Amino acid sequence: MHRREFLSQAGTNFSAFALAAMLHDESFAESTGAVQVLHHPPKAKRVVQLFMGGAASHIDLWDHKPMLEKHHGAKSDFGEQVETFQNGLGPWMKSPFKFSPHGQSGKMISEVVEPLGECVDDIAFIHNMKGKTGVHSQATYLQATGFQRPGFPGMGSWVSYALGSINENLPTFVVLPDHRGFASNGPKNWGSAFLPASSQGTAIFPQRENPIDDLLPHAKYVTKASDRDGLELLNQINGQYQNQRVGDSRLEARIRSYELAARMQLSAPEALDISGEPKHIMKMYGLDRIGATYPDTINASEEAEYFGRKCLIARRLLERGVRFVQIWSGNDNSHPRRNWDSHEDLERDHGPLARGMAVGTAALLKDLKQSGLLEDTIVLWTTEFGRMPSTQGSKGRDHNPYVFTNWLCGGGIKGGISHGPSDEWGYKPLHRSNPTEVYDVHATMLHLLGIDHKRLTYLNDGIDRRLTDVHGHVIQEIVA
Amino acid sequence: MNNMHQSAIHCVLLFSGFVLLAHADVCCADDFFRERVVPVLQRRCLSCHNDVQRKGEFSLQSAESAFDDGYLEPGDAAASHLVDVITPTNGKAEMPKNSDPLKTEEISAIRKWIDSGAKWPSDFKLQEPVIADFDWWSYQPIKSPSVPKINDPWVRTPIDSFVLKTLNQKGLSHAAEADRRTLIRRVTFDLTGLPPTIEEVDAFQNDSDPHAYEKLVDRLLESKHYGERWARHWLDIVKYADTCGYDKDKLRPNAWPYRDYVIRSFNEDKPYARFVQEQIAGDVLFPGEPDGILGLGFIAAGPWDFIGHVEVPESKIDGKVARNLDRDDMVSNTINTFCSMTIQCARCHNHKFDPLTQENYYGLQAIFAAVDRAERPYDLDPKVEKRRRELDSQLKQFNAKLSTLEKTIADAGGPRLLELNQQIKELKPRLKTEKEPQFGYHSAITSGSTTEKWVVVDLGRIVGVSSIVLRACHDDYAGIGSGFGFPIRFKVEISTDGQDWKIVRDQTMEDVPNPGLTAVELDNINLNARHVRVTATKLSERSSDYIFALAELQVFDTNRDNVAHGAKVAALDSIEAPVRWTKKNLTDGLWAKAGDPTLAQQLVQVVKERAEILAKIETPERLKEKDSIQKSITKAQGDLKSLPQGRMVYAAATQFKTQGNFKPTQGTLRPIQVLHRGNVQQPDHPATAGMLPLSRSGDWRIEGETTESQRRAELATWLTDRDHPLVWRSIVNRIWQYHFGQGIVATPNDFGRMGAKPTHPELLDWLAVQFRDGDQSMKQLHRLIVTSGVYRQSSQDNEANSGIDGSNQYLWRMKRRRLEAEEIRDSILTVSGAMNYQMGGPGYYLFELERVEHSPHYEYHKFDPSDEASHRRSIYRFIVRSQPDPWMTTLDCADSSQSTPKRNETLTSLQALSMLNSKFNLLMAERFATQLELESDNLEAQVEKAMLLTTQRKPTELERKQFVAYAQKHGLPNLCRVMFNLSEFVYLD
Repeated sequence: MHRREFLSQAGTNFSAFALAAMLHDESFAESTGAVQVLHHPPKAKRVVQLFMGGAASHIDLWDHKPMLEKHHGAKSDFGEQVETFQNGLGPWMKSPFKFSPHGQSGKMISEVVEPLGECVDDIAFIHNMKGKTGVHSQATYLQATGFQRPGFPGMGSWVSYALGSINENLPTFVVLPDHRGFASNGPKNWGSAFLPASSQGTAIFPQRENPIDDLLPHAKYVTKASDRDGLELLNQINGQYQNQRVGDSRLEARIRSYELAARMQLSAPEALDISGEPKHIMKMYGLDRIGATYPDTINASEEAEYFGRKCLIARRLLERGVRFVQIWSGNDNSHPRRNWDSHEDLERDHGPLARGMAVGTAALLKDLKQSGLLEDTIVLWTTEFGRMPSTQGSKGRDHNPYVFTNWLCGGGIKGGISHGPSDEWGYKPLHRSNPTEVYDVHATMLHLLGIDHKRLTYLNDGIDRRLTDVHGHVIQEIVA
Repeated sequence: MNNMHQSAIHCVLLFSGFVLLAHADVCCADDFFRERVVPVLQRRCLSCHNDVQRKGEFSLQSAESAFDDGYLEPGDAAASHLVDVITPTNGKAEMPKNSDPLKTEEISAIRKWIDSGAKWPSDFKLQEPVIADFDWWSYQPIKSPSVPKINDPWVRTPIDSFVLKTLNQKGLSHAAEADRRTLIRRVTFDLTGLPPTIEEVDAFQNDSDPHAYEKLVDRLLESKHYGERWARHWLDIVKYADTCGYDKDKLRPNAWPYRDYVIRSFNEDKPYARFVQEQIAGDVLFPGEPDGILGLGFIAAGPWDFIGHVEVPESKIDGKVARNLDRDDMVSNTINTFCSMTIQCARCHNHKFDPLTQENYYGLQAIFAAVDRAERPYDLDPKVEKRRRELDSQLKQFNAKLSTLEKTIADAGGPRLLELNQQIKELKPRLKTEKEPQFGYHSAITSGSTTEKWVVVDLGRIVGVSSIVLRACHDDYAGIGSGFGFPIRFKVEISTDGQDWKIVRDQTMEDVPNPGLTAVELDNINLNARHVRVTATKLSERSSDYIFALAELQVFDTNRDNVAHGAKVAALDSIEAPVRWTKKNLTDGLWAKAGDPTLAQQLVQVVKERAEILAKIETPERLKEKDSIQKSITKAQGDLKSLPQGRMVYAAATQFKTQGNFKPTQGTLRPIQVLHRGNVQQPDHPATAGMLPLSRSGDWRIEGETTESQRRAELATWLTDRDHPLVWRSIVNRIWQYHFGQGIVATPNDFGRMGAKPTHPELLDWLAVQFRDGDQSMKQLHRLIVTSGVYRQSSQDNEANSGIDGSNQYLWRMKRRRLEAEEIRDSILTVSGAMNYQMGGPGYYLFELERVEHSPHYEYHKFDPSDEASHRRSIYRFIVRSQPDPWMTTLDCADSSQSTPKRNETLTSLQALSMLNSKFNLLMAERFATQLELESDNLEAQVEKAMLLTTQRKPTELERKQFVAYAQKHGLPNLCRVMFNLSEFVYLD
């Protein structure tokens, strides 16, 4: 079949896997995605993306800069004209946090992310990430969708589109937003855009009364029996409608979608229910104080509880066959700051946010590792850009789109390494003509999932769109 | 890059065709180079190794640069570094970087060329490859094909003749006509987006008039709901939404007048050329007509980056990027929508498949070089406009008078005043100020300088005060900077009880020079006090108005401790605009500090000297005159403000209210450069405004000096040219697609080489000609299409036909389709009896709106669907770009950040959950049940009515039994919930 026809009938393709799924007499069934045969043997099949909204500072968390300690307070000199987003070209500023070595690799990381010290030997850091803009919205789009502007599918959508579902009883792509609200661009960061709607991210808000919108009927007149009998009735009437209209696989797939929905109603609450988790696990994820009240000011234990809960739920979702989980830390740019955009006071915001994030993240990595899931699950830690080594005001840092840090872990990643250094100040990549870009990270992740990033395309408005646009190469140095 | 170099490239670009022709008959070595080597270098090397980028310090653009760098050893390929880097080992080569290696035959061609001397004509320069081939169906003139002569009773319209001819050729047969119930359901949804009523279905089924169907079509086309349905298609294409998108996603409270304009234009059956022209240059072509301005909502419909425009100035890279992307959206919206060409592919390089160059692309950007997206009035009263012009001209006169007077004063001050002014100008920027976001206290704004304003600090207890320090503010507003708002005359008083006040500094009789950022210290007070009050008796000027502002007030006790820190502040009035301006900032310990104290001191001295000179030359007469002019200015400004503003629409504009760095161009064209690789930091040469070229010889440039409005007018005229090969085909294809589920060209936004070819090219041209040369009436085109035999076919499958043409591209049957998100929602509202058919006006919310002032939160999960304001047609909902309605999105609603010429139709379990469990569905099922119970108390009758409303047919006996049994057991609302989930409810045969 001509590829274009194939795509135009993406809806009808449902039937193929619906049928396959029905033939499988299993509690959960896989669905095939657009990439029917993987391009090469995969090393991973799941992804977790941790996104720090507002731009987390590389030089205060992962990228240790002795030069800043040495020249703290001295007039900053970048050796060239620098254009900042605001006016953050004050003196050099050392990190307010202490760095110390961890693991076999002796990786220097900051005290605020110390819980991750036990994991650094599994992590590949990339310290020469380069962005394209210091504007939050565009930069967030770039890291989340590979394009600087709205209208493109999130990475999770591409992966869902390509690989399909591992367990159809749960959404393929789940997003756990910051409990306070959305980061820049909101749900557009995980929308399916021009890809089929089935590849969109499903937002889950564990703390809400209805963590998944519309999962269950909230009406007095609907009872378990009326629900069950109603589905049965629908099955019959829609079945008759289908029988009178042969040759239209959509009608059959639609019936099947109601069966799947019913299964999801059982699977999803079970996946989100952490009440049966043992005490030591709860403690590991920072969830040993549930129900505690917290001060109004930003604080580490509150951050740990909210982020840890998302990490624990992420693990449960991965175990149950969710393909892609995206976890957000930080909401929009309103005041007081509840995101990583520390223009005013880095220690005040980054301290608690990082400590909270590190507790949950370390727990997730260790937990996945002990269960063996980490072997085929890629974890990506990312943010929209870095922060300047000079001060803004007296305690803040301005945006640094010129260099920042990503790290990856698990599924086919070589651990205990730091790839692509930044310069001695953490201002730009050490090798300026050879930075790492988001396309490279995405290409590498797709590669580990068994996909050639150049061959995962979708024709939209006359253009064969790719997650990696026209760029990207696999970073062989971080592949195990 | 220097200018010489730039213009050299420009010339080469313009004349490259000529160069090629002039050397057409050179020797065969040259031919080999041109035919075998040049295309490879152009395609694989030039994008990095050109004279602009010179990646790796190497350019292959000309002979000179290629040989200079020593990569080539003429006569010896083996010794040439170029050959080393392109020759792969283990399937990988160093170059092209991060890309597939060159093909073997390409490498051997390059080797052969080098071995035979690497001849490169000295005047030959490589250029990015250009597609210059217009030999493609969509560029051919629209023909006027004759209707195939087919004698078949099935043929009702010429459309049928064209379609049947193809069916016959392909060995396919058409389907039987659909039954009347199917037809009325199909055509009512297609033309109005709503289900037919029971009475309408009855009437049609029982109408014995042979033209019953045609009458039905006429009625539907006259319905006001027609515009509501078809405007939605248009808004999908043009990316309409009611918020800006990007970070903060601010509201566009006045986008809706454009949406209403589109609905009205469809309902009025506006000729298409007029519709196009209004949307590109209505303000120029139809001055004084509201539709001329409302139509410009088209240019502004897409996303807009608030931060990139308002917070980042145009001079910064991020500001340039934002504005470049903004124009990109305007260019692609225009060319995608009207011409169905993917012009956006030519932003970074020449189009790889279609004859569109970067020159063309930036030529189009140059047309939009002066417009921005903003609110502008659209229904101005001519009388009011006359008065506005009068006041504008008065203001100009007064301002001229004022500057003459100021010049006289300056002249009287002699050269020393000029010198001092110059020094102040130089010193100010050198004083790098350090300041916090909290500026200080700021009074309300008044129009006169002599209004008294006070601010008082309550220390909370009586304290022995040794000294008081006042610190002035810093704000760049109106270019003022240091000393912002510091009073010209004032007094400081203290009190122990807040009743009796003792003056500790009296500056009310004489002007004080502005202290800038140096402290104003009142030492040796040595009195007890609990309250400290500062009263300004002569206010300082802001921008033709007056204020009192103070950054910090410190009160030191005998231990030199500042006891005012954190103390309570009260004031006569305050603008309260935190974080910058709020009363408590006066005692927060934060104030702006000058970077270099010596410079600051110097500035104070200079300011003081200038004040002394001014005092001498500002005679009472002059001051009086100045005062009187200023009063006239204030009055004229006030009068201007009080004029009715007209209603506003969010549209393309060159004049609007400044917002931060987002300033109107007033029509001044921004310089547009052709950007190397689309990079704003690599401008190549100025772009020439122009259109798309439509043929090899076609002249696409707009000649001569043109204003921004002339440019848009030219574009609008060009887009509606009778001979335009793209525009007429594009629109008839879109309309065809919305009726049949697929276009004659399956890619409605792309008629280029990456798009599909027409399945019925003659029919497409025939329709285009009918449409263009008729009244350009969409309604006539709809009538032509929906009364055809093709459209009236049944959607039943036919195995023989589907074996030949499974995707039904030749239309041997009608395509069954699922209703779109809006149709489903509107149907639910209609059958439940909840629908309010009120048209137009601001969009209703389907979310709770929170925190509007900063980053609006659109909280869908908090919305109560029983809110009656939301029980209106879905086209009137307020569309949030960054947070689309989850229910609508799940049902494949268009994403308003991308042009959506055709929606996806997917099937997911999340859809099932939305249709079963959303608060909206559950509530409407209840309403539906109540409605049924009101009309009858007989369950059988209720069931029959429910079926008729949702599917336009009676239930079969079996269905009736099943439905009744279910309703008896679980109640009618549960049955209604089921009805909304019937496949038959959401599918059209």
